[in-house]
Amino acid sequence: MSALSSSNWDRRSVLRAAAGLAALGPLAACGGNTGREGGGSSGKSLVQYFHAYGEAGTQEAIKRYAKAYDEARVTTQWITGNNFESKLFSSLLTDNAPDVFEFHPQLQLIKSGQVAPLDDILGPVKDDFNPADIKSHTVDGKVYGVRMIDDPQFFFYRKSLLEKAGIGVPQTLDELAEAADKLTTDKVKGLFLGNNMVSTNYALVWAAGADQLNDRNEIAYHTDDVAAALKTYRRMFTSGHLLLDAPADYWDPSALVQGLTAIQWCGMWAMPVMQKALGDDLGIFPFPSAASGAKPAVYNGGWSMFVNAKGKNVDLAKEYVKWLWIDQKKYQEDWALSYGFHIPPRKSLAASATKLKSGLPAEGVKLFTDYGRFDNISWTQAMITALEEVIANSVRKGMDPEKALDAADVKVNRELKKLFG
Amino acid sequence: MSSTPSTPTTPSTSSTRKGVRGSTLSFWIFTGPFLVGLVVFVYIPIGWSAWLSFFEARYTVTPDKFIGFDNYKLMLTNGDFTGSLVTFTVFAAIIVPVTWALSLGLALMVHRLRFMKAFFRSVFFLPTACSFVAASLIWKMSVFSGVRFGMMNTVLGWFGVENIAWLADPNPPWYWLVIVTVRLWLQAGFYMILFLAALQNIPPVLYEAAAIDGARPGWQTFRHITLPQLRATSTAVILLLLVAAYQAFDEFFNLLAKTTWGRPPLVELYYTALGDDQDYGAGSAGAVILTLLICMVTLLQGRFLGFGKGEDAR
Amino acid sequence: MTTVVPTRRRGRRGVLGSAGLYFATAVCALLFLVPFYLIVRNALSTDAEITGENWQWFPSTVQWGNVTELFDDPTVPFGRSLGNSAVVGILHTVGTLLVCSLAGYGLARIPYRHANKIFYAVLVTLMVPAAVTFVPSFVLVSSLGWVSSMQGLIVPGLFSGFTCFLFRQYFLGFPKELEEAARVDGLGYWGAYWRIVVPNSLNFFAAIATITFISGWNAFLWPLVIGQDQEAWTVQVALSSYMTNQTVNFHLIFMATAVSILPLVLVFLFLQRWLVQGVAQTGIKG
Repeated sequence: MSALSSSNWDRRSVLRAAAGLAALGPLAACGGNTGREGGGSSGKSLVQYFHAYGEAGTQEAIKRYAKAYDEARVTTQWITGNNFESKLFSSLLTDNAPDVFEFHPQLQLIKSGQVAPLDDILGPVKDDFNPADIKSHTVDGKVYGVRMIDDPQFFFYRKSLLEKAGIGVPQTLDELAEAADKLTTDKVKGLFLGNNMVSTNYALVWAAGADQLNDRNEIAYHTDDVAAALKTYRRMFTSGHLLLDAPADYWDPSALVQGLTAIQWCGMWAMPVMQKALGDDLGIFPFPSAASGAKPAVYNGGWSMFVNAKGKNVDLAKEYVKWLWIDQKKYQEDWALSYGFHIPPRKSLAASATKLKSGLPAEGVKLFTDYGRFDNISWTQAMITALEEVIANSVRKGMDPEKALDAADVKVNRELKKLFG
Repeated sequence: MSSTPSTPTTPSTSSTRKGVRGSTLSFWIFTGPFLVGLVVFVYIPIGWSAWLSFFEARYTVTPDKFIGFDNYKLMLTNGDFTGSLVTFTVFAAIIVPVTWALSLGLALMVHRLRFMKAFFRSVFFLPTACSFVAASLIWKMSVFSGVRFGMMNTVLGWFGVENIAWLADPNPPWYWLVIVTVRLWLQAGFYMILFLAALQNIPPVLYEAAAIDGARPGWQTFRHITLPQLRATSTAVILLLLVAAYQAFDEFFNLLAKTTWGRPPLVELYYTALGDDQDYGAGSAGAVILTLLICMVTLLQGRFLGFGKGEDAR
Repeated sequence: MTTVVPTRRRGRRGVLGSAGLYFATAVCALLFLVPFYLIVRNALSTDAEITGENWQWFPSTVQWGNVTELFDDPTVPFGRSLGNSAVVGILHTVGTLLVCSLAGYGLARIPYRHANKIFYAVLVTLMVPAAVTFVPSFVLVSSLGWVSSMQGLIVPGLFSGFTCFLFRQYFLGFPKELEEAARVDGLGYWGAYWRIVVPNSLNFFAAIATITFISGWNAFLWPLVIGQDQEAWTVQVALSSYMTNQTVNFHLIFMATAVSILPLVLVFLFLQRWLVQGVAQTGIKG
């Protein structure tokens, strides 16, 4: 076995050796389910990746749309678990990579040639999209993803509990901390910011008058006001007024619905469930201002469809994305409004979305337009992690915010240097 | 570790030349499938990892940008990786002695039982049936849930203690309690079985002799007879516990999220390579460093404890 | 100093001592059973009872419907994942036993010039934990097209250096005279192995099999990485998916836990003899 000692081998010899093994393994013969056999009427097939939406009926809906597509058999991978990014990224390295996947706009995917530009399919309808959704997916004049849904995130609260405590809607971060204090009883906590407290990251930075990056793609989150806001967060964290270690995290309406908290950070998607459970005892407000003169903030998250540029059938994948997310308005409307509430990124659809025209949903749309800010495409996964570590270090662990921000600066700068030189 | 008679045997050298050639073929028939698999699924990934560690490999495992030892420099200067080694040390320093003591204690108790012995042995052994995933789930969702309907918080609530966020708040580091008790519950019964087997092998004559010499039953006989007789098993148990602690992954991965603490080496490497960063070069460099560390420790251990010396003697 | 303790005193102390012993053992046993109690309680309650303001020791009505609800849940293919785990567990066990025992026997008994070197090459792999090489392993397996497949779940795990090592150590201690008698009768290594060695080692094989099956059933990291497709999930992956991202349904989560543990609890109750022997002989769990 000279292979044991020899160190010069290449990928091809790896594969040859592996193929040899495959031939002799009797087990290789059984159950060859790669999820790719078969094929639709035309014999072509596509694979699409979705993260698991929590709302009932979503998985069936996505599969129903896919089934209606005639040109190819589309297989849906519904990725549960909190590691959608990991699973997506690692599968993109392999032959089993999805042809089409949902994700957020991130520059490294474009720089590495992983996702295909979609100008040819988007061009004719570009003006019908919310300009912010086009801008957040554009690099050097090319658009790289089709937005499916916009998901504003803000605070939900129980009106009755605030009334009982005799407080109004918090207008500043300090008032929010005070409200959490007054609302806390032995059975109900005042405020739920998520178990890891990282979901309010962008809103916190924006409400402190800062930004993730400036126009020249330099660090813009490291300001005195952000450090001060982090200190307030730390104070809230240690006060015992926050709900922590809840079984369901911020994206799920359980904490508010089960009466574990009086105020919860969540997304517009959860509004139908909350309304059903709490009726009129429900209000919303943006992340309150955290520095003098700064505006309140709402994070307009959401999901977009991307086409894997290294996939086996890029043109067909593009066709499918065009068919479903540009042509089939009925499905787009169903997807945005029938399960959770999402704001359709297309102006024509948003205009006809009667469910969002009155009551609390209309207030949500107003927060979205008045205070909402979108993803910055230059802010990549490594930077997201770096900012999350700032929360872990300065809020949960008690490190000096300045030090925690310095540590993040090193990581973000390393990433920026790789992306922009 | 083997209860079979260990008669020292060396491969027969009495065969004729022809026999040797025939046995060479037999040797490959017997070991071939295993060795091919070992090369393909163990050696090639190890080699691939080592190769990647010298490249700028982000979002790819077939990189072309050679960067020498930069990944190693990054991993060694980056506090996260070195911090994970500290975490492992703390973890091992707690879990190894505690599990050792508890499993030995259980074994001593069960060993002395006269009736219902099998029942109690089964009860202590049963948690071994659970996976770390299942156990983490029970611990996170029910035993140490931070809300009012978590079991620990309910029990503490009866004494007027406020709800504790066991996992979210690292000060005080309650998360260690959660992580240690999970592993303790899962493993103690397993090592208890090892100790029970060893206890049964202690000749009763020793105790009788000790009684005649005036040793009191209890601490004295335990200290002077039981413990020395269990030395071999104890050493094996400690080694196994160390190895298991070093490979800890599942419960940390499932119980702690978005932290910068409580990450042993394997979890740290998972997040570096497969997590959001997708830095396979740095992750592989970390893996190589770890492997070198283990090899060193194993060699040192062999020198001090004489473990593995028997190999050549056989 | 050779005072003999009066029998009466010893007897009273003995009774007191053994009462204390049984009390202590029972307390420990109760603590060890608490998690099992929680699983059963939560699995058979409604969510409202689990999350209610006051602790409920037992469900007011036992919710057997939770069982059917678990298997009817469209978001997680739980029945399928149980089936996968069973297939993976059994094939993993059979394959590992076959491949590793043959290799262990070859290394222990068949004379070959480089046998020692090869044995060291096997030992070295014990030092490198599989988990640190899983990225290249994953890419390798995926280039074979084995992602989300049974082969991908089973084959890479068959070549356990440790199991091979255990078999080698065992065969070194196997009485040589038996085999030599067989060889005199004209059986080659192959014949002697299957006719003499294996039938006389069934206890050891059973012990290793039980332990291998348990570790296969409980494995998490590799199935997590390789099981991209829901169709290829094992029960552990399905279980971990309940812990995250799903809308939290306590009764379903704990019913899933209960069902996932049940097969192994049965193994423990009915095969305990092999298990205890296996644990005592090998000191491994995987």
